[in-house]
Amino acid sequence: MDATALAAPSAAVSSAVTTRGAIVIDDVVKIYDPDGAAVMAVDHCSLNIEAGEICMIVGPSGCGKTTLLNAIAGFHEITSGQILLDGEVLCSAEKPKAEPSSDRIVVFQNGALFPWKTNLENVAFGPLMQGKLNKTDALEKARAMMADAGLAGVEHNYPGEVSSGMRRRVEIVRALMNEPKVLLLDEPYRALDSLTKSVMHEALLEIYYRNKVTIFFITHDLEEAIFLGHKVAIMTTRPCKPKKILHVDIPHPRDYSVLTSKRFRELMEETNDAVHEEALKAFAAGEKEG
Amino acid sequence: MARKSTHLQAYWRGAVSIIVLLVLWELGSLSKVWIKWDAFEWLRHLLTAFGFKPIYLPWIGAVPAPTEVLAVWARVLVDPGYWQSWYMSFFRVMMGFVAAMLIGIPFGLLLAVSRTSFGIGFPVFEVLRPIPPLAWVPASILFWPTQEMSIAFVTFLGAFFTIVINVVGGARSIDVRYFQAARSMGSSQSDIFWRIILPGTLPSIVVGSAVGMGITWEVVVAAEMISGGGSQIGGTSGGGLGFFIWNSYVGGSYEQIVVGMISIGIAGFISSELLRALGRRVTPWLRLR
Amino acid sequence: MSAATVDERADDEVVEILRQTMPLQVARDDLLRRIAAAGRRVHYEATQVLYEVDDIADDLYIIVSGEVRHTLGPGAHAKEPTKVLKAGDVFGWAALLEKTPRRLARAVCTKPTEIVRIGGETLLRVLATDADVGDVVMSRFATMISREFTVPDLADQLRRIHRKMHAKDIQGMNLTLYRMSLWLKSPRPYLMLIGFALFLGFWYLAVEVWKLPRFREMPGITAVIKEWVSREPTYGLSIYTDEYYKHIWVSVWRVTQAFVLATLLGVPIGLFLGWSKKFKEYVFPVFEVFRPIPILAWVPLAIVMFVATESAVIFLTFLASFFATALNTMLGVESIDESYVRAANCLGASRAQVFRHVILPGALPFIFTGLQISIGVSWFSLVAAEMVSGQYGLGYVINTSYTMVRYPTIVIGMITLGAVGYVTSALVRVVGDYLMQWRTRELALGGR
Repeated sequence: MDATALAAPSAAVSSAVTTRGAIVIDDVVKIYDPDGAAVMAVDHCSLNIEAGEICMIVGPSGCGKTTLLNAIAGFHEITSGQILLDGEVLCSAEKPKAEPSSDRIVVFQNGALFPWKTNLENVAFGPLMQGKLNKTDALEKARAMMADAGLAGVEHNYPGEVSSGMRRRVEIVRALMNEPKVLLLDEPYRALDSLTKSVMHEALLEIYYRNKVTIFFITHDLEEAIFLGHKVAIMTTRPCKPKKILHVDIPHPRDYSVLTSKRFRELMEETNDAVHEEALKAFAAGEKEG
Repeated sequence: MARKSTHLQAYWRGAVSIIVLLVLWELGSLSKVWIKWDAFEWLRHLLTAFGFKPIYLPWIGAVPAPTEVLAVWARVLVDPGYWQSWYMSFFRVMMGFVAAMLIGIPFGLLLAVSRTSFGIGFPVFEVLRPIPPLAWVPASILFWPTQEMSIAFVTFLGAFFTIVINVVGGARSIDVRYFQAARSMGSSQSDIFWRIILPGTLPSIVVGSAVGMGITWEVVVAAEMISGGGSQIGGTSGGGLGFFIWNSYVGGSYEQIVVGMISIGIAGFISSELLRALGRRVTPWLRLR
Repeated sequence: MSAATVDERADDEVVEILRQTMPLQVARDDLLRRIAAAGRRVHYEATQVLYEVDDIADDLYIIVSGEVRHTLGPGAHAKEPTKVLKAGDVFGWAALLEKTPRRLARAVCTKPTEIVRIGGETLLRVLATDADVGDVVMSRFATMISREFTVPDLADQLRRIHRKMHAKDIQGMNLTLYRMSLWLKSPRPYLMLIGFALFLGFWYLAVEVWKLPRFREMPGITAVIKEWVSREPTYGLSIYTDEYYKHIWVSVWRVTQAFVLATLLGVPIGLFLGWSKKFKEYVFPVFEVFRPIPILAWVPLAIVMFVATESAVIFLTFLASFFATALNTMLGVESIDESYVRAANCLGASRAQVFRHVILPGALPFIFTGLQISIGVSWFSLVAAEMVSGQYGLGYVINTSYTMVRYPTIVIGMITLGAVGYVTSALVRVVGDYLMQWRTRELALGGR
């Protein structure tokens, strides 16, 4: 059960000072409706994610990637296997559901900034709720973090008043306020146009370089995956299982010029076939969006 | 995972609550008996202090007990007049409701489809809508030759406004892309109407009619009560469960009042279920959501 | 201020310079080109004063080469007022501030300096053409102003890039006026008048001119209006009689009592029904047993239960209102997007905190829709209850007007009912809009 040989250390994790946020997904199985029509969403999936690493999960829609993310976050149960965070068991067959905690914070697909709070109040939410800071300190820290991320000036707007790209960034800052070990991103840029996306990517990397967290990023966009990640795990269609793991050896820090580099093109070629194959399978199976 | 047992659990909990309710009701109604016992002298004092007569618990004490109600109900079940009331009420509800649908749906669709009609018709509609249907009763009686027709008109009004509002809302919320897709595939205006607007509005029509049905029952019952007794809008036409209740009140049989109330509740429930079943047949695509 | 020499060089160089500045790093090439095209290069000698405090702030300045000493005046309350700026630095950003832009600092060249000047308004306009990136640029300006120039308060005053430029000042009154002006220009108000004219006209003609048989007994519109506004109304009720207002007040007061009670009880119960599965399993079946019974079927029982007719009337109205409120509140809680609750859990909120910070505000829009329905239902029940029992009140007026053959008063009663009902419903809506500022603002911007 000790999966040590699964992933060779990725070359590009720059001076990982953190030893926190290492995830081990160990032979996880997830079956829906155990007494009805059993649907296997995750099929003996094993994956190693190193501390401080950006791990991209690529696969066609509905293949079960979100289930994995939800299991790590503590929203869904697993049927068997286990998931470990820094050596501690998050969930296993005996304890099927992890506890949601600010160790692992999710950034949701359609955004989950509270529309009824201002951006600043949203960002300050975590520490305030956990009692780690009092109100003035929390708001002050939030303001500083927002300024750091280039978001000064929209503190007192409501999320509905700013652009969707900006909302995403605010949501990420909201997560980072709590110094999580892991950031779980569920296709956060899916609804954005590709031009905004590229700005968002650079913004994300910028934030990442300053706050070393482990990032677990689900996407169906292979380019996005290779551009951002240290490691790209290509998943099969339902049931979900890593089909191919790519180590992206393009050094960090990266900027958008990477997209046209030779190495990038090579990596795309290596993996494109695998992704396309799975996409065809999913299409044939008529998968509904996950 | 024991999924089945949670369902059972839910049923049990619901059943427990209803049983508790019935028990409390029984006790409350019987307060006119047990409050006379010596043990409850303090209660009698308390009631007098608050200005209530110390003869039973306030409010609930005046209501007949479930056991008494059941006894009377058993008797009433064999009385043909009771079933006649059922028939009359159902008949009125159906008449009013069907009329509201037949006129309301086309009217609503017209408002939704034609901007000019909407501009002309909707403001007048919105001004008339807040007037409660029952306020129309006297005007209705003045207008229509027979009592029955005046009740039907008021019933119709009650459901009409709700249905129209829901139809308009539903038609407007049809995604404009469906129209664009149809047009690009060469659909004519009437095609678009029959194949896009109508089916697209159906879910809202279904919702609107569910609410409209509830209102229809309210109005029918009220109209029956008013025409049968109470005020002087007299007349020989009576019948119906509303009249049944009113009559029971006037005649002093309080148990029958409760019988009537529960009967209407059941009748309303049946008609809602019928409507919902019909709605499901008409919009099969919604089931998959 | 005065240009020593004006040079026109290849735009490419300017674009490069712009790209190196902190705020414009994220802008794409075509955007930078457009900004560059709007700018001009100016050469200054050493010791030349670029501007003084309180000069009009028109342009943004970007240093190509050379050195500038930038001293913020006392009014700016900067933590470090003096800065020495070099190639690639940006200053003169007062041109981008919301309030009347005047210079906040004194800028002097300490060496011969090449500068690119861009008009503030022009820059904003160019940025507005690409709102998402424009947003990012402006926030980077804000960051620069607060961190490098140490005046965080001024960062708040930066102009915003709005998604719809013509709806610039979208607060409160301006929005209403703007909307009204749009409405008046559309065909809508005129169609509305046609509609009313048709309706009233038909009424008039049918009763008083053509004297249609069906309409024989109906009061004509002229009769109604005459009665309504006469000082000595034949049937005793007009806008000049005290009694009219008494009836209105009685009805309104009853509805208010019933509605407030129903809200105080219905909202909490509805919230718990939506929030706690256990509670719902216990309580909802009881709810569903009572709900199908029409409110008016309760009338005789209510009269039996509540000896005083006043309480009976209020009880009936309360009952109707309560069911509507509780049900809608419950549905509201159940409609809240699960993601919000999950996000709150991730961020460490306890169950009680989730309830207070997510469920309550999240359900508020639904609660208010429910309250609007509820008040409509209250009026419905009240009228019915008043018609059957009780004295005073608009329902009573309509009823007795019929029996006492005061037909015009019937119509007066009906119209008054409609108007009062509408006003109370609008009041609820306005309160809702006020409590949910975030929603009104979002909808004003055209929604998501």
